[in-house]
Amino acid sequence: MKPASSTAPVDAFLEESAATASAVSIRGLDYFFGQGELRKQVLYDINLTLPKGQIVIMTGPSGSGKTTLLTLIGALRSIHEGSLQVLGQELRGLGNSKLVEVRRNIGFIFQAHNLFESLTASQNVEMAVELVGNFKNKRQQAAAMLGQLGLGERVSYKPASLSGGQKQRVAIARALVNEPQLILADEPTAALDKKSGRDVVTIMQHLAKNEGRTILMVTHDNRILDVADRIINLVDGRLESDETLSHFQETHDPKKLDGQMFIL
Amino acid sequence: MKRVPLSVLNLLHDRSRLLVAIAGVAFAVLLIFMNLGFLGALLSTTTNFYEQFNGDIFLMSPQSLEISSTEPFPRTRLYQVAGVEGVQRVMPLYSDYVLWKNPETGISRAMFVYGYNLQDPVFLMPEVNTPEGIRILQQPNTVFIDRLSRPEFGPQTTGLVTESDRRQVTIGGQYSLGGGFAADGTLLMSDQNFRRYFAPRPLTQINMGILLLEPGTNPQKVKEALRALLPADVNIFTKAEIIEHDSTYWLQTTSIGFIFGLGVLVSFVVGTVIVYQILYTDIRDHLREYATLKAMGYSSWFLFKVVLQEAALLAGMGYVPGLIVSLGLYRLTVNATEGALPMQMTLFRVVLVLVLALTMCSLSGLISVRRAMTADPAEVFA
Ligand SMILES: Nc1ncnc2c1ncn2[C@@H]1O[C@H](COP(=O)(O)OP(=O)(O)OP(=O)(O)O)[C@@H](O)[C@H]1O
Ligand SMILES: [Mg+2]
Repeated sequence: MKPASSTAPVDAFLEESAATASAVSIRGLDYFFGQGELRKQVLYDINLTLPKGQIVIMTGPSGSGKTTLLTLIGALRSIHEGSLQVLGQELRGLGNSKLVEVRRNIGFIFQAHNLFESLTASQNVEMAVELVGNFKNKRQQAAAMLGQLGLGERVSYKPASLSGGQKQRVAIARALVNEPQLILADEPTAALDKKSGRDVVTIMQHLAKNEGRTILMVTHDNRILDVADRIINLVDGRLESDETLSHFQETHDPKKLDGQMFIL
Repeated sequence: MKRVPLSVLNLLHDRSRLLVAIAGVAFAVLLIFMNLGFLGALLSTTTNFYEQFNGDIFLMSPQSLEISSTEPFPRTRLYQVAGVEGVQRVMPLYSDYVLWKNPETGISRAMFVYGYNLQDPVFLMPEVNTPEGIRILQQPNTVFIDRLSRPEFGPQTTGLVTESDRRQVTIGGQYSLGGGFAADGTLLMSDQNFRRYFAPRPLTQINMGILLLEPGTNPQKVKEALRALLPADVNIFTKAEIIEHDSTYWLQTTSIGFIFGLGVLVSFVVGTVIVYQILYTDIRDHLREYATLKAMGYSSWFLFKVVLQEAALLAGMGYVPGLIVSLGLYRLTVNATEGALPMQMTLFRVVLVLVLALTMCSLSGLISVRRAMTADPAEVFA
């Protein structure tokens, strides 16, 4: 993994020094879908900084723009207004091939596992290792990552013979194997039962705490809020609140019980 | 360690789909081979009798279209070149149609007749080159009949007497030559008999001049020397050239070129559609995975290569069984038609069809790959 600051232009170094200390830094971000008459704004003046090593959970009603924000941070869409720095790199105005490069430093975890049915668990993970050109040890690296996620016995299984939770863990192994500094997850536990969902989140929590990864996770799942350092709430494209876990639990009465159950 | 062979594994994953794809490509390849085979065989039947012509250089009037529709030219042209270095022998050949009466049904049909000087070894068929054969052909009103003549001409028994252009004619023997596309049957006779049947046509006007060269002489060299000597009222061909000339005539004036060309085109399109269908469904089913690869940081170019590799693999896997079955069907056709349709595999055709199969698959790959390349990585989050 190259240092995040290596891609930042030298002349902008001072300005950027604050941003490079954080994994993500967003200033005045507006985002629109569509053109002309159909142009529709979905994000309004987003300002957000994610320090390195933080686990941030993003909640909000359906259609509030959570996924859109995630895809922007993940360099899967280009921004037009405002500033968005990811791992020290300003994404605004970047060409397609530059965006592809930025993505290689980010681990994506989707609601669906999106594994190739034709590839074994190991091969699915190896596809990620090959991206950084590490062909020599890719098998060992993939096996080690799957082992960490408790799939040591399943490396040469195809997705069809894995359970839902196991498949999601393979997808997580694929997202994490290159040790990305930033992990973006969109409802990673939605398709999982309670226990598997819990396992998956615990694994991510360990990674953030032990290896200083930054995690931004969208979830509707109240059962896993307790892993967050911080919870942000997006409503109708605006950041409504940004608070620590304990504060969030106090102010959100109905969810209070759930959150505390996990702490107990 | 090597890359994960995504294209191969994707193809192998759904075995039944793969089998359908291979069968589709193989079928298209087979159809193309059969069309080209029939075309080649038919074209060679138009001219394969030339193999039995004992000559290295052929002279023909520029007005002649092919062997059976020739315009006579002066025999003196032949004598003009008899002394050219390398020329061993010059031989006139006369030809025309007669009406041959089937002695059993009484129905007359047009029969193509060759007349030649019996001293000249114009034809290579063994029956007409034995002293006995020549002796029989010398008899008046006696002909040899082609065994490959259509059965409608009636029995070919030696000694049989029938009528030809209201003149009595006796079958003196048989040979195998074939009449190509133009003639349903052929006869051989001496130039003296030819003069009798086609009177008042004089023997000084010939239909074709056949030159036999000294062994080891380069026909192309002699041709140049002849060209310098002869006026423009004769065309000069080497053996390969006259075969080419006649088959080009048949290719252009009949619809066989068009029919089988169309057959090849249709097979090609069918193959392209089948492969497109397979690749497209494959891409559609894996769109989320492809989009995920893009989100991970793979470029569109990588996906492009994966799909094209799948296409090339399909081409190869379908081509081999297609070729093998075609070889079997070629042999079957030759046997079933007792050699009348000489379907022969040529190296050129093997390579040509392989190229066609690759083009077919790449083309469908190119059409379907756009879907994979436009896979939006942002969509997989939705
Ligand atoms: N590709 C698109 N084109 C046009 N509009 C879109 C597109 N994707 C999303 N939107 C709109 O943008 C808004 C935000 O969508 P987004 O998917 O970001 O919401 P979300 O917060 O992730 O919702 P959910 O919780 O249901 O996943 C919605 O109104 C949606 O209809
Ligand atoms: Mg969403």
